[in-house]
Amino acid sequence: MGNQNDEKMLSMLRDILLREDRDDIADIKDYLDDPDKLAERITPIVEVHIETLKRKFPKEYQKHVTQIIERKLKASQDELLDVIYPVMGKMVRKYVNHQFISLKENLDETARNLFSIKRLKNRFKSMVFGVDESDILLSGIDKTTIEEVFLIERDSGLLLGHYTKNKTIDRDVVAGMLTAIKAFVEDAFSKERQELEMIEYGTYKVYIQSFHLYYASIILDGAITTTEKDKLSARLLDFAESEMQNLSLNGELGGDSENLSAKLKEYFENGMI
Amino acid sequence: MVSKKVILTGNFGVGKTSLFNRFVYNRFSDKYLTTIGVKVNKKITEVDGEEVSILLWDIAGEVSQDKVPVSYFLGAAGIIYVFDLTRPMTYENMDRDIDHLKQLLPDSVVKIVGNKKDLLTEEEMESVMSELTQKCDMTTSAKTSENVDDLFQALGAELLERS
Repeated sequence: MGNQNDEKMLSMLRDILLREDRDDIADIKDYLDDPDKLAERITPIVEVHIETLKRKFPKEYQKHVTQIIERKLKASQDELLDVIYPVMGKMVRKYVNHQFISLKENLDETARNLFSIKRLKNRFKSMVFGVDESDILLSGIDKTTIEEVFLIERDSGLLLGHYTKNKTIDRDVVAGMLTAIKAFVEDAFSKERQELEMIEYGTYKVYIQSFHLYYASIILDGAITTTEKDKLSARLLDFAESEMQNLSLNGELGGDSENLSAKLKEYFENGMI
Repeated sequence: MVSKKVILTGNFGVGKTSLFNRFVYNRFSDKYLTTIGVKVNKKITEVDGEEVSILLWDIAGEVSQDKVPVSYFLGAAGIIYVFDLTRPMTYENMDRDIDHLKQLLPDSVVKIVGNKKDLLTEEEMESVMSELTQKCDMTTSAKTSENVDDLFQALGAELLERS
């Protein structure tokens, strides 16, 4: 009997002492069981934490992120080069173009200062047709034409695509020999990051532009000025950007040689630089 | 059609250019003209009804393969390592040369070929074979054309199999 009373007393005592705590626990349980209520309570706290993280992130994690990016870049250098090569080429071309505009202006200036019958004729032509004198001077030289274009896999020398105005000797052998000559010259002089860019024979010139996995070789008939070389380079960069990117994204070249040759024809058929 | 780059390499005067000329043009000359740099030519061979275009690079002979510019080897799907069956000095360094080539091009097909077969008797041939430290894949004679086509057929078949 005494024990039962003790139990009752103890229970009452518990109720009195723990009521508030029990109510609090019930409230908490209520919040935990109801996702909406929980979200309502937690969201502002999480948002504050996110804001804090955003503010502190550069300071706290910059070093780790930089290390991860550096590792990733080192591991996929080839893919990266393929993507940025044409873009970088364009940037360089833009700079070179700028230099050429300055040179052209100097040429105009020189032409203005000359006094000769030819000079007067050119000036007359320039006035009548509204063409720069420097262009008239350059047009006196025979037009250079594109005779053939080769796209060649850089290491193996295997032909990827080809365009020619006339039927020539075996294009695969030419591609292989060009690669062998290029390798020979680059190896013989072994200057780091230097590439063979031009081979001349008689009135013909072989202009070479190297990309990461392949190179383009253009056979030209006639003299080529730096401006023309620049234009040619720009056309090749355009071609690389639009037609070659998809072929070389995984670090290996693949694709349809006939299709590539047809594209080369579209780009270079008019024979003009 | 599948195109493959194949390298002809080995010591001086072992008959690389003679094999090249026999395979590509079906001709032979006794005159020895040393190859300068490299010469490239092409031949289309048919293997089991399928055509393979072999771009053959005939590289100037070197005493040791590590003296050949690495750029010549890049992108090669096949290597024909030629030695002269009549001159032991052309196969004395074979182990080192083959190791070097396999390190450079681990995925390519390597064929070890003993040339100038026509200059040896059967007994002499057996003696040479017993001296070799590597398995000789084929013995040829560019002069009589013996086994030359077979060599390129076998190589073409392996290249096709791997492509």
